Amino acid sequence: MAKQLIDTYVRDLDPSVQAAVHRSTASTTDKRHVLLGADFADADSLRKLAGAIREHTIEHLDTYLAQAEESLTRCGAKVHYAVTEEDACRAVSDILKANGITKVVKSKSMVSEEVHLNDHLAAEGIESIESDLGEYIVQIDGDHPSHIVRPIIHKTRGDIARSFEREGLGDYNDDPETITRRARKFMRGKYLAAEAGITGANFVTADTGRLVLVTNEGNSRFCLAPTRIHIALIGIEKVVPSEADLAVLLNLLGRSATGQQLTVYTEFINGPRRKGQPSGPEEMHVIFVDNRRTEVLASDCKEILRCIRCGACLNVCPVYRQGSGHAYRSVYPGPVGAVLSPLLAGDKFKELADLPKASSLCGACNEVCPVDIPIPDLLLRLRHRAHEEHVPSPGTPPMEGFALLGSHPLIWRTAMTFGAAKDYLPLDKMPVPYLGPWLKTRTLPKWRGGKFRSWMKSRKVREGRQGGDDQ
Amino acid sequence: MSAREKIFADIKAALDPLPERVPRPTLPRGVADAQWLAGAGESTDLFSQRATAAGTVCFSSATDCLKWLSEQQVRKIYIPDELSDLAPSFSQITEVTNLYSRDQVDQIDAAFTSAAGGIAESGTIILTDESTPDRLAALAPWIHIAVLRMDRIHRSIEDALATMPDDPNIIWVTGPSKTADVEGILIQGVHGPGIQGCLLV
Repeated sequence: MAKQLIDTYVRDLDPSVQAAVHRSTASTTDKRHVLLGADFADADSLRKLAGAIREHTIEHLDTYLAQAEESLTRCGAKVHYAVTEEDACRAVSDILKANGITKVVKSKSMVSEEVHLNDHLAAEGIESIESDLGEYIVQIDGDHPSHIVRPIIHKTRGDIARSFEREGLGDYNDDPETITRRARKFMRGKYLAAEAGITGANFVTADTGRLVLVTNEGNSRFCLAPTRIHIALIGIEKVVPSEADLAVLLNLLGRSATGQQLTVYTEFINGPRRKGQPSGPEEMHVIFVDNRRTEVLASDCKEILRCIRCGACLNVCPVYRQGSGHAYRSVYPGPVGAVLSPLLAGDKFKELADLPKASSLCGACNEVCPVDIPIPDLLLRLRHRAHEEHVPSPGTPPMEGFALLGSHPLIWRTAMTFGAAKDYLPLDKMPVPYLGPWLKTRTLPKWRGGKFRSWMKSRKVREGRQGGDDQ
Repeated sequence: MSAREKIFADIKAALDPLPERVPRPTLPRGVADAQWLAGAGESTDLFSQRATAAGTVCFSSATDCLKWLSEQQVRKIYIPDELSDLAPSFSQITEVTNLYSRDQVDQIDAAFTSAAGGIAESGTIILTDESTPDRLAALAPWIHIAVLRMDRIHRSIEDALATMPDDPNIIWVTGPSKTADVEGILIQGVHGPGIQGCLLV
């Protein structure tokens, strides 16, 4: 029987990877829960407030984006816009080429993953090194991140030790501390040789033009210390009205992402270094990327643009915990990815239209979301869109038979009368399409079909009303 | 049509049909403060307590700091001119320099810089380009000790955001550089300091 792609992937997943993903996501979910509970009497209201801030922002995106541009320009940054993936990549390489730069260091940015920036730069002959430890390992392995916050959640220390050995970073050693020290030493050389640093941004304040970057490793800070040009690639939806809003958002981001009150390094950058300062980039470029975000804004799923990329919905999701990130076949995995990836796919929507079905709609993703995105509702809207666009759904039983029964009272009544025959069939031994595996381990209850109508009739008579049309 | 014009036109086209738009929520003062903040006592003590919890080593006097540093394996210490008062005592334990350059990144094991402020609620050290001009000095050495004036400690994260200095590069540091990328195991000192210190003055 045909299977959903995600089911096939999960079935073939190495059980040790599955166990590692489960352990790590479950423990982060617990830490988040404990910290929010200890620090806030009503964390739920704070989440809803953050959701209102983000919803307000995206519903006034024209105003706030223009304001952010104005503030950044005032501070001496150059602001660019990119409509498509290709535009975004070209904007970056044009700036680098204009400055004769061939070596750059990058800090982690989901939008750069989305536009495949590293592939583009490599094709242009520019060395671009990922500086986040996890992202670096993903890069040398030619792999893809499997979690928004923890890119190598799917790799073991042995995998990493083998990759480091292959890349000439030392003999095989799987001690996490040794791995980290080797990366530190290697990356030092790369930072000091690089001429430009590429970052994303977690937020951009409209009124003061501050890019907010959060990291635990300190890599984004290192990308902006010895380099002479800073290029930030930012989705247009990352804007927030002011610094006051950050009090709510930053207090939720670290707690939701990693169970930390604040991430170790929270940086606020608005502009190149000032005159007389000894270090920091002399030029700052901000590239605001659309890449179909305006299409999402126009759709019935615009709430997904509130997302602040904390990964809490991945950690809590029973499907993500079983399947890990690559099961989602796209840059954004988990519940947020099941919504965002098909929306950002454009005319390839059909290829990812199965993702919104990879959910039991349990609602846990909404409950942990720091900006209260109604993810289950959005999943349903996308399922509806897939239906409207006639996207085939392998493994889903055909419902035409039921539709016929349900819309023809006479056939329905007949089926209810003869349905009792099922009690005498050895269903567990018969090849029942779609239900076969299920019936092997379960028995069906005795047939009770058809009783509702007679019950309804007798009830109406007792109440002294007309039976009316019982169809 | 330029990319900018197209994006703004598309945003407008997406938003125009909305029957109404969510108004800007009002943010009551202290709305995101930790619930224990009000009863948490004096700010300097709270700062030390929270910073320690975040993994920062706090010193209440230069003498304590000197004693601690003398027990570390330190070859060379960077002390910038604005903190030159500290230099004589620290030069008793090892070589002290007031110059920080790229070529010395591997020789300097510890650096002092002055902090622009702190946040008691989270035990955060605030660095700016103005307070800490050399970005590398506060980042590359294994040990970084920020010298923080107690009267510059903000009570809450919200307070710190309400009075952001006019500086293009503000950094909040809450503990040492760390990662849990390898199997979720916590390791300190990835790219930045493995030991983050704070000397309160």
